[in-house]
Amino acid sequence: MYNLHLTPEQQEFRDTVRDFVEREIKPVILHPDHLQNFSKRLPVALIDQASQMGLRSLALSEALGGAGADNLTSCIVAEELAVGDIGIAVTLVETSRLAHLLFDQMMTNEQRQRFLPAFVADDRFHLAFAMHAPDAELGLKYHRELTDAPVCRLSAVRQSNGDWIVNGTTGFVQNAPVAKLIAVQAGEGASADKIVSLLMPAETAGMTVCDLAANAEAVKWFHGSGGELVFKDCRVPAANVLATSSGGTATLAAIAAGRGNPIMSAMNIGIARAAYEAAVTYAKLRVQGARHIIQHQAIGNILADVAIKIEVARNMVRQAAWASDHPEAVADRSVSDLPLQTVAKVFTSETMYAATEEAAECFGAMGVMLDMPLAKYVQEARVFLHSIDSNNVAKLRVAEAVAGFERGARTPE
Amino acid sequence: MDLTLTEAQQAWQLKARKFATEVLRPRSLARDRITDPCATFDWEVIREGSRLGFRTLVVDKKFGGHGVDLITQALVIIELAKGDSAMAKTFSQCWKWTHLLQGGCTPQQLERFVRPFAEDETFLLGQAGTEPNSGSDHRLPPEEDPRAGWRLKAEPVDNSEGADWILNGEKCFIANGSVARLFLIGTRTNPNVPQKEGGTMFAVPVGTPGMRIGKVFNKSGWRFYQNAELIFENCRVPHANVIGKVNGGHGVRNGPARLFGDFELGANALGICDAAVEMATQFAATHWPQSRYFKDNQAVQLKLSEMHMLTEALRSFVLRVAAEGEAKTGNAANNAILLQNFATDALQRVTALNMDIHAGAGVAMMHAGADKLERDAVIWTHLAGDSVQRMKAVRKH
Repeated sequence: MYNLHLTPEQQEFRDTVRDFVEREIKPVILHPDHLQNFSKRLPVALIDQASQMGLRSLALSEALGGAGADNLTSCIVAEELAVGDIGIAVTLVETSRLAHLLFDQMMTNEQRQRFLPAFVADDRFHLAFAMHAPDAELGLKYHRELTDAPVCRLSAVRQSNGDWIVNGTTGFVQNAPVAKLIAVQAGEGASADKIVSLLMPAETAGMTVCDLAANAEAVKWFHGSGGELVFKDCRVPAANVLATSSGGTATLAAIAAGRGNPIMSAMNIGIARAAYEAAVTYAKLRVQGARHIIQHQAIGNILADVAIKIEVARNMVRQAAWASDHPEAVADRSVSDLPLQTVAKVFTSETMYAATEEAAECFGAMGVMLDMPLAKYVQEARVFLHSIDSNNVAKLRVAEAVAGFERGARTPE
Repeated sequence: MDLTLTEAQQAWQLKARKFATEVLRPRSLARDRITDPCATFDWEVIREGSRLGFRTLVVDKKFGGHGVDLITQALVIIELAKGDSAMAKTFSQCWKWTHLLQGGCTPQQLERFVRPFAEDETFLLGQAGTEPNSGSDHRLPPEEDPRAGWRLKAEPVDNSEGADWILNGEKCFIANGSVARLFLIGTRTNPNVPQKEGGTMFAVPVGTPGMRIGKVFNKSGWRFYQNAELIFENCRVPHANVIGKVNGGHGVRNGPARLFGDFELGANALGICDAAVEMATQFAATHWPQSRYFKDNQAVQLKLSEMHMLTEALRSFVLRVAAEGEAKTGNAANNAILLQNFATDALQRVTALNMDIHAGAGVAMMHAGADKLERDAVIWTHLAGDSVQRMKAVRKH
């Protein structure tokens, strides 16, 4: 049965991270000089500290040196971290979830022996996964069969000795600029029907990582660090093949179906909570006329609205996280078989953006000043409306699930 | 209500459209990106706009201005804001204080303050009401409490008739704060009664000893528009610079400038909505080759439809209040407040929908133009659409 009573371990994780956020992260991240810096670099020192606390390998099994956190626990921790800074949170969360996916689920014993010791020993060993995603705008093709053959951005061609040669350019890959090991999905001969997954150490010849933060002209629309990978006749030895069938694991299949871990939404809640907590503190301090503004109905209404949104969103995220930990509960219809990760993503991003904006309103003009925290929270919450799937596409995916539509074999016109 | 434009109105509209297209829009994004909030301003925009008459649009013709009606003012703001909302506001801010000066000055004061403004193409106006502990976010009840409101103190140097005044205190977020040449300063001349009865307005030229400009605020949107601190330390101002009567500041501030101040935010929002609708329509029409998704994409069509609907509803509201204000019929001042509230909702929804349409999916770099419109729109929350501004129309103000 779904149980909201946190285990002692979950409470300890939460409290330790909450303390770290207050003591270490906020003084650095909320300093006006940091807030006003347009070209933000990742706060590497803080990420290193968090790594030492075990947050980089939170989801990696205990047998392999991690904390073995399930999706629900990972979500609880991710929310706390994102209260401090979304860039720090997203970097660690990505590495942690991939550590579990790659080391626990996808690698062979031999591959584990080659890569795991370095990963466990090195606080700066981050992971990235350039997954094949169908052309995102295909999501707009609601309830229609595809007429064009789906293609993969990367093409992999098998050599006679078993090695693969990879060519092409990926889209956005989270963590790519800081990752020391990158998993890559490529289509055999660019076909999206036959996907091969390959392991690439960062220094692999023929692979270039283009850090998107280096493009000063563009407006960043993601959290943490991210980049594109460019492959030019990149040779990958047969020993680095992770999987040759498309998908590869139940986890990847769940993500593709919108039933994976809603951890991005958990971090989204963390941003709104930071804004909310700041607004409550401020409303108790700020005096207007003869009263603290928290005593005015107008402000009370706003804070209640924000609190309600956060509580309801957190319920949705925790339910989706729990369901992703318990696929059997979906199978026996204890919980909805809708893509709950996607449901949580749409609901959370919309309500948390509104909540963050409302919290900023309590600050009057200071709510839009770049040397104050609220402008940061508003901007970061806004990005969630369009990250991963934009909500445009995400809603249509939910609609297809509601309609019971499954995109079958394509029917050429 | 006849919304047919006169030839003169159409001429101003076209002139503003040309200026916005050729001068404002090309500079808009580059200015927004400058990290130093003091360096986002561009005097070339002001000079060029001045030559075309946009700075002095509402100055009386006898001082060399254009004295246009409220409908023309709306039409010009809409066009300029479509080019760049913050640049448009820099001009219309001068109109607001021209309205105040022309409504509250003696003939001698008009010669001293309005004429030099009209004659110098880099002369901008500002007014300072908000203080660190008294601003629009401080107008929640009890406004009649003597502790609420302006605290910047003005005291006569002695008890003689017409004695000079000494100003002490601080103002913040003051629009055109770092670029204006003349400020109208709201002061407290009697702290024992509500601000309405104990506030006095002074005209203080920049350069008056004892007055200095503090920090320029670093905003997430409207980055071209300058908001700064003004600090007064024993700043001596002659009695001849009192606008209106001593302890009559509230009446001066609530003359024609009040209506215009609320109204201009509605018109400016409409200009941004027009820009967003144009941007989204063009994107939807060209982004998908052969309209591959657009013709089948009801989600995008519904978003465009909502953007158009809200924009046209806002246009009707703006023009209605302009007509009421010009004819002095209806409750134009209260409707102007409702207009700025509605404009906040419409603008933020329209710019968010525009971003939605541009964002597509899996996009790592956002469309810089759509992003700027949305950041500019957020400013309305803190200016025209917060709780204080929403309660204003249903209470005496």
